[in-house]
Amino acid sequence: MKIGDVEVQVSIVAVAVFVIFAILLGAASIVSSNVRSQLIWLVPALVMLLVIPIALNYMSRRQYADIKPIYEREAKTVRVRLINESMVGKIVRIEGVVERVHFQFLNRPQYSVADRTGEISVKMFTSPDENVKVNDIVEVLGQVIRRYIVTGDPVINCVSIRKIKKS
Amino acid sequence: MADTPTYNPNQERPTEEMPDWRMELAVPLLSFGGALLAIVFWINGAPFDFRISILGCVFASWVLAYLAWIRPKKDIVALTTPIYSFIFIAVPTDIFSSVILQLLYAVSLTILLIRLKYRFGKPGTAVSLGKEMGGSLKTYIGQTRDSFSGISPETAHAAAIVFVRFAEGNYEDAAQGSRTAPADGGNSDPVIILAFRIIHEHSTLLSRSQPRPVTYLTFPEKDFPRLAKPPVAAHDEDMEFYSALDNALLILFSAAWNASERDRPHLLACQAFAQKLMSSK
Repeated sequence: MKIGDVEVQVSIVAVAVFVIFAILLGAASIVSSNVRSQLIWLVPALVMLLVIPIALNYMSRRQYADIKPIYEREAKTVRVRLINESMVGKIVRIEGVVERVHFQFLNRPQYSVADRTGEISVKMFTSPDENVKVNDIVEVLGQVIRRYIVTGDPVINCVSIRKIKKS
Repeated sequence: MADTPTYNPNQERPTEEMPDWRMELAVPLLSFGGALLAIVFWINGAPFDFRISILGCVFASWVLAYLAWIRPKKDIVALTTPIYSFIFIAVPTDIFSSVILQLLYAVSLTILLIRLKYRFGKPGTAVSLGKEMGGSLKTYIGQTRDSFSGISPETAHAAAIVFVRFAEGNYEDAAQGSRTAPADGGNSDPVIILAFRIIHEHSTLLSRSQPRPVTYLTFPEKDFPRLAKPPVAAHDEDMEFYSALDNALLILFSAAWNASERDRPHLLACQAFAQKLMSSK
């Protein structure tokens, strides 16, 4: 779905929640007249289960699209081995192979990207522009953060991940 | 170096406050103890609020969260157990439900403790917490102490600055510092001068996001005994290029540590990066 120039992607979990509650509401309204009398606010509430994730996804993707040019301008290309705790806050660009992908179904994908010098976690807090899979060669733009904000190993808070072709 | 090792330098010494096995044992003891107390109250009829036994699970949750906190690799599930224990207290239940809940909670905490021990490593040590030097890095610093302790304090200080700036990702500053550093102290040790030149080359390339050039600086074979990671004879130019940088950075780290005592706190703060360079292939 496209809103303006932003491609919005709803997670499968949000769709599943909407479908389950729609079925429950449909069944309950058939068997109970009390539920039928409350449909005037139950149906909008049901719709909100889909609207809120769409709105959140739109806002986050819009914001990511806005800051991507800044990151492209400021990022330094580094090797994974050079990323360490002292670099927290730095904007970096890495190139590597995707070794693992987690939580893509939640629209909060977490990748494990490796180059010849090491491996690092790349976290994204919205859906990526491209469907990135294991073994894809990618370019990652992002900021070095700690895994749990104030503590933990350094990871990359990803603003952009895109597939690249390497000769 | 002032702190001559009196124990195996490759073995990390635990911090004084490091908990022992008794703290780990406290988790099941407190949680199951509380559940057992609840059963006793249930059978005999408690003369007071039976929910007092829930405190066993609350204390056990805090101990588990503490054990999770002191590990370098954090377990978010174990860290949040105190929150669940408060929810546990806040919800009023009858004694039967309370006993069942406490038993299930005690089992959950014990499983989380086992998970913490086997999946999230050992508690932090003085080395991993950056309080003291340790591991193979300490061994390397000890081995190179004699050859680097004679360098001038100015050069050693410059080495510390360049290392810290590079670790922070301030490559322009590192390039600038490594370009001027050898001349500052009048140091004539060719290995340190070459280390500065290699870091200058890499910092300049990194600051401009440029790839490996066709020709680049490396350490000659005569310097291999002084390198932390002598290059293996393989025709892999990328790895040779990366290895030259690792060795150059570690030389500066060792030189700074051995000859500039006032910079040690800054070097300790970047120790994790140096350890990473040491342990990488």
